[in-house]
Amino acid sequence: MTILDVTNPVEPFLRTDRMPHIWCPGCGIGTTVNCFARALIESKIDLQSLALVSGIGCTGRVAGYVKLDSFHTTHGRAIPFATGLKLANPKLNVIVYSGDGDLSAIGGNHLIHAARRNIDLKVICVNNLIYAMTGGQTAPTTPGHAITSTSPYGTCEPAFNLPHLVEAAGAVYVARWTTFHVKQLARSIGEAFQKKGFSFIEVISPCPTLYQRRNKLGDGLDTMKYYKEKSKVKHGAPTSEVGLTMTGEIIVGKFVDRDRPDYQSLLHAQMVESLGESYVEPSETVCSCS
Amino acid sequence: MATATYVEEQRSTDKTALITGSEAIAVACKLADVDVITAYPIRPYDTVMQYICKLVANGEMDCEYIVAEGEHSQFEIVKHASACGARVFCGSSGVGWMYAMEALTVTPALRIPMVAMVGNRALDDPGAFGVEHNDALTVRDLGWQLVWVDSAQEALDTALIAYRVSEDRRIFLPCAISCDGAFLTHSQALVKVPSQEKVNEFLPRYNRADLLLHPDNPITVAPQGNEDWVMEIRRQNYAAMERSSLVLKEAYADFERIFGRSYGNPFFEEYETEDADIVLMGMGTLSTPVKVAIRQMRKAGKRVGFVRMRWFRPFAAAELAKSLGRFKAVGVIDRDYSFGSPYMSGVLTTEVRSALYSAPGSKPPVLGFIAGLGGREVTVPDVEKVANSVYEAADGKSQPLTQWIGLRE
Ligand SMILES: Cc1ncc(C[n+]2csc(CCOP(=O)(O)OP(=O)(O)O)c2C)c(N)n1
Ligand code: SF4
Repeated sequence: MTILDVTNPVEPFLRTDRMPHIWCPGCGIGTTVNCFARALIESKIDLQSLALVSGIGCTGRVAGYVKLDSFHTTHGRAIPFATGLKLANPKLNVIVYSGDGDLSAIGGNHLIHAARRNIDLKVICVNNLIYAMTGGQTAPTTPGHAITSTSPYGTCEPAFNLPHLVEAAGAVYVARWTTFHVKQLARSIGEAFQKKGFSFIEVISPCPTLYQRRNKLGDGLDTMKYYKEKSKVKHGAPTSEVGLTMTGEIIVGKFVDRDRPDYQSLLHAQMVESLGESYVEPSETVCSCS
Repeated sequence: MATATYVEEQRSTDKTALITGSEAIAVACKLADVDVITAYPIRPYDTVMQYICKLVANGEMDCEYIVAEGEHSQFEIVKHASACGARVFCGSSGVGWMYAMEALTVTPALRIPMVAMVGNRALDDPGAFGVEHNDALTVRDLGWQLVWVDSAQEALDTALIAYRVSEDRRIFLPCAISCDGAFLTHSQALVKVPSQEKVNEFLPRYNRADLLLHPDNPITVAPQGNEDWVMEIRRQNYAAMERSSLVLKEAYADFERIFGRSYGNPFFEEYETEDADIVLMGMGTLSTPVKVAIRQMRKAGKRVGFVRMRWFRPFAAAELAKSLGRFKAVGVIDRDYSFGSPYMSGVLTTEVRSALYSAPGSKPPVLGFIAGLGGREVTVPDVEKVANSVYEAADGKSQPLTQWIGLRE
């Protein structure tokens, strides 16, 4: 076997014809895609059953790089789009893959309402603490004092603690990892596939180009070192205590794993209760393409 | 309101600065001493929000500045700040502007003054960053005053004029300044930055008087109205827009008096039209390749002119028709599209034809050209191709009413 014959095990999941990708050296988004592909391999999930939806942003570009049914929807609308997919075809495994700004700022309302309804979606939120694609502006996730292109002397707004937010809204599975925790992240994604209901995995990820550089936090490698040294695994940690600071500890782990009927089960139960025997299950959406 | 902290020398002297179109708008906001600014990033508009935030952070500008959680909130926040008497600024681009649509609709309907910058950008999909004019044009029927500028200097000057007209009690309608993405927002040029004293002389403070939303002046903004009053409300907006032409003329005249810079006819610029047989038309930075092409064509003996539409709303139909009546044929280059429109032409073309139709006097044929979409460059040979077709029409030869220029085969 020559070296040229070796293919990366995740390559079959990627649209290599779209490479090179747009991500900067040291960016964490590619690492998360690698973990996602590994989770697909390990969970042996049927790829035909998968649909991946992303919003707009550096993370949003994931939809164009994976060899899956995917949709690069408008900024902030990944969750409603995914909700539509799931409602039309409940057998689909629908993954939402997007950035912190897309999911928690312009799409923040969708996030909390999908969690409240417990729509069966797996949300992977790559949190680089800013709006990266547009030049590194302050986002609702930017930790206090961080310098961004809209806060030259540091952000004064308090940030969202995303695990706490989605737990409060009703998510059944909530975990957080960093791009240093590749094994744990892949495992978490696999676990979320098994879960019925709104699952949320936050991945803390470096944006060396716009966040680390402006805050003099080094490059991608320095950030890995920081993640390694300052992360503490605390499964089941109360989410109210996992808020992030600029250089402090990062609590990671599986915070929430609980069961509660998802939206479609609730709807089904209500229809059966109110219509009784006359209730006819909606027929399945069948795809006619081969 | 906000007190600026300029040193005395800065207040009283004009300066020259090498700045981009976006920076020019930011400088205008500083000079206009804007009180509340909201932002949400999207290219190419986001450059202006970044320049402004630096001015605020450095203490050069005393204003409330907030990065909202999306364009919808961004435009809602300033709308209400304006109702409370604050001078406001915001802006967006492409789909960001569209996402604010509900607020964009309500702002003129409620007669709320506001100045916004549209960094013109193609609408999604496929997510192109380059310029198209469809974003700003979506509000053309709603009561927004719309202007296209083609240089950083014009951007700065027009922003000051926009505040004056928008906040004039006779008008109280918002104004959007369109700056072509990249070609203007990101290109540097030497700009004369006027002194604070002159700006203060030109631009009175915004005064809502009895319409001020304030505890001492209890009023209800936006009470429910139905068929009982809606026609009358719409008619008031119609009248305000009708007055806008007059107030704009006054503002340009005062601008010339105070700043010593004249824009001639405020509504459209004419270039090499005096002896022209045919003219081309367009908006924004199209003027650059068109003017270069015209200079070259003139060397070859072709008498071609250019009319750059500056104000699209209000649209100076009668004046334009009078001017265009002098030529044998007109070619309008649209950096926009309007699928299914009359003759499938672009928006500007359709408006120009409509302006001519009802006007007295000669009506030259008007050909429509769609070019430069998604930021594609409009080249000098493209313009020559347009001019050749317009010449054919001038000679009475039949030409398609709409042509796409620079399309890949
Ligand atoms: C309605 C609308 N507003 C603004 C934008 C511009 N925009 C593109 S990506 C982006 C932010 C992306 O930030 P985030 O979701 O955190 O993803 P990242 O780039 O950091 O991965 C914004 C504001 C847009 N495309 N559409
Ligand atoms: S700008 Fe930041 S988030 Fe975007 S690709 Fe570069 S490093 Fe990654």
